[in-house]
Amino acid sequence: MTNPKTYILGGYQTDFARNWARENKHISALMREAYEASLITTKVEPNDIKAAFIGNFAAELYCMQGHLGAFFVDFDPAFKGLPTTRLEGACASSALATLSAMAHIQAGIYDCIALVGVELMKTASPAQGGDYLGTAAWYEKESAGVEFPFPKLFGKLGDVYDSRYGLDDKHLARISDINYANARLNPNAQTRDWFMSYDHACSNNQYNTAVSGRIKVTDCSQVTDGAVCLYLASESFAADYARRSGTTLRQIPVIQGWGHTTAPIEFSTKVNDSENADYVLPWTRKAVTDAYQRAGINDCWELDAVETHDCFTTSEYMAIDHFGLTDPGKSWQAIEEGVIEINGKLPMNPSGGLIGCGHPVGATGARQLLDAYKQVTDTAGDYQIQNARRVATLNIGGTATANVCLIVGL
Amino acid sequence: MTQDIRKVVILGASGTIGSLAGGVLAQNGIQTWFLSRTLKGSQKGLAKAQKQARSEVIAANIICGDYDSMLREACEQADWILECVAEDIEIKQQLYEKVDQFRKPDSIVSSVTSSLLLEELPKGRSESFQRNFLSTHFYNPPGKMLACEICGQSQTDPAVMEYIADFCAKKLRRAVIPVKPTAGFAGNRIAFLLFARITELAVEHGVEMMDYLIGPYTGRLMAPLATLDLVGLDIHKAIIQSLQSHTHDAMHNKLLLPEYVETMIANGHLGNKTRTKGGFYKRLESGKFIYMDPASGEYIPAFQPHVQFVEKAKEQIHLGMYRQAYQTILDARGPEAAIVHEILATYIAYAYMLIGEVTDEKDGIEGIDRVMATGFNWAGPSLLVYMLGGRERAVELLRSQNLAVPPILENDTVCEKYTFNSGRFFPAR
Repeated sequence: MTNPKTYILGGYQTDFARNWARENKHISALMREAYEASLITTKVEPNDIKAAFIGNFAAELYCMQGHLGAFFVDFDPAFKGLPTTRLEGACASSALATLSAMAHIQAGIYDCIALVGVELMKTASPAQGGDYLGTAAWYEKESAGVEFPFPKLFGKLGDVYDSRYGLDDKHLARISDINYANARLNPNAQTRDWFMSYDHACSNNQYNTAVSGRIKVTDCSQVTDGAVCLYLASESFAADYARRSGTTLRQIPVIQGWGHTTAPIEFSTKVNDSENADYVLPWTRKAVTDAYQRAGINDCWELDAVETHDCFTTSEYMAIDHFGLTDPGKSWQAIEEGVIEINGKLPMNPSGGLIGCGHPVGATGARQLLDAYKQVTDTAGDYQIQNARRVATLNIGGTATANVCLIVGL
Repeated sequence: MTQDIRKVVILGASGTIGSLAGGVLAQNGIQTWFLSRTLKGSQKGLAKAQKQARSEVIAANIICGDYDSMLREACEQADWILECVAEDIEIKQQLYEKVDQFRKPDSIVSSVTSSLLLEELPKGRSESFQRNFLSTHFYNPPGKMLACEICGQSQTDPAVMEYIADFCAKKLRRAVIPVKPTAGFAGNRIAFLLFARITELAVEHGVEMMDYLIGPYTGRLMAPLATLDLVGLDIHKAIIQSLQSHTHDAMHNKLLLPEYVETMIANGHLGNKTRTKGGFYKRLESGKFIYMDPASGEYIPAFQPHVQFVEKAKEQIHLGMYRQAYQTILDARGPEAAIVHEILATYIAYAYMLIGEVTDEKDGIEGIDRVMATGFNWAGPSLLVYMLGGRERAVELLRSQNLAVPPILENDTVCEKYTFNSGRFFPAR
């Protein structure tokens, strides 16, 4: 089945280094700043926008505020009555919002949609925040009474790799080091001015303590306040937009392929199910291969970069073989050979990813999509991959329960 | 001139700025000697640098020592000698004399000073020393404040200036601001004049009220008198005295050190560094604050001011409506509003007035914008002009305060640029 195309008109990412809780800002201020700046960067007009889809994980917990779509209506007088929808799927919330927006565009319901991803997380203490994040797993079974459930669960992912194929933690340290190094090139990255080195990532002391199992501080993504607003459009709208922007339709990025799967929520069920499978997380692999198929590409070597979901170093380690950079269990080869480095054969997370750029949970999928847009339009600045024409994103929710892979290209 | 900076000596590595600036160098892979009067002091500096980096491994790039046993060895090898000792010209010059004996002829020597006369510091030293001598003024703490003002004296080789500016920007990720050799350079000259005026206004209105009125919502991450507690009132006094002695401009009469501030210093109420005695603020065991009363010299309980326009502006900022908040401030009337208007207008007028005197005229307001943003976490003057609604509105504000309007402000175009991420300077507090 050939669906109508969905185009990306660009957008804006807030500075992920900011602490909006300390600034005493409401979550709607975070959305508003992303929205207002996105009008400047894209020159989309408020009257162009026919609907808004908001990706957010847990504002009810972090901010005691639900119904986020309603706030968008306040941002411009033109928005009174605008249809808005908030979608939740843990860390994949804004990728799910993207899929929903795409469906509305492809069905011909709306021709230009604002896509907002937002999370304000620094309102909570680390322990409280860890507990909130635990609701992205099966809370009763996997999170209740566990101080930091997700480091524990993604530590287990490393343990599964270790038991099936062997895993040297030095490779995880290198993943962290690469992401921080890339983040130094990204003016919106949370850790752009932080110190990191491979030796530090390998160290285990007061400044790099074990959080849970094999997961140390440097293996973790960040607690981040952030928002992204971008615009998705139909072909006819994009053609008009191209004319008024003095460009051509062929220069506007398209979502070429997508894959979306949902695995059983409990981590142990996932790994038990995959015991005799080729991949540790087969549903994640399927989301990737579905996206390849829909984009009409054979494998990862037809991509120029990947923005993947490195909520922990183990999840990027998993992504390397699930994207097909190596055979299953041999992700270490791509690390050792420099394949995933910014000047490598297939760079992963030139933005710095969730570890370096930051991880405002409900905004991450939208941030990845915007970074894919920047790469293929040659507007990524210092973290630009030369001649990037096709970029994949992988946004996962929970312990790779929700899996969304998107392929963006010209 | 040195070809590449691979090895650096920090003089005064036991102090805050020495250890933390040295830490930034070590973080970036530069072999760094931490030298001070005692090895123990230098080791304390190392611990501070590790805490800043949140990493123990930077110690691999740091060699600790004392002047007596290691100054010669370190200076003979170093490409850059960064002096961060006390702001005392005699102490600095005594150290320079030794450094001059030991250093490589092409090594760079810089001081972190911004308040001493740069021209005086290298006097009597070799021609090579003077040619390679400049100021690299790091802001505190350098792990968070990225500003670095760079200034030469009459003998400094322009190529050295250019090289160190490039090195600090690219290798150390500093926001480099070339400045002219005037006391306080750009950042301290502007900020401390405002601090001085605010300490004076506190005589009548009180400490708590002044920090409430000129609070973070006006375009700064920290209220001004709380900032002075962080800086230390003794340092504040030294900077004000330096500015009083070495600068002369139309706002010179605002550079006052009120009597109650002198008394606070004499009695050891220096701010955060004398935590039990307090400064403008004193923290009780309960975690609550009491405030210095300039009239009585005693600490008095908080009265938690509540002024309608301030609260309204904060609420608008809370919702991300920054320019509307500034409209609220501009529309407000009454004695409290007059204070806020005066301080905003003074900041803008003074900053635009000093273009060309403290920074290059060709940089326009942007050099000053950069140092206020990255050295103090204040909204730059041109951003405030934007927030006020543009230069015409800013000019009106200055005229309403009987302040001369700098010609550069009347023709400024920087303030017309949309500034991304400007909300970070306006907390709703």
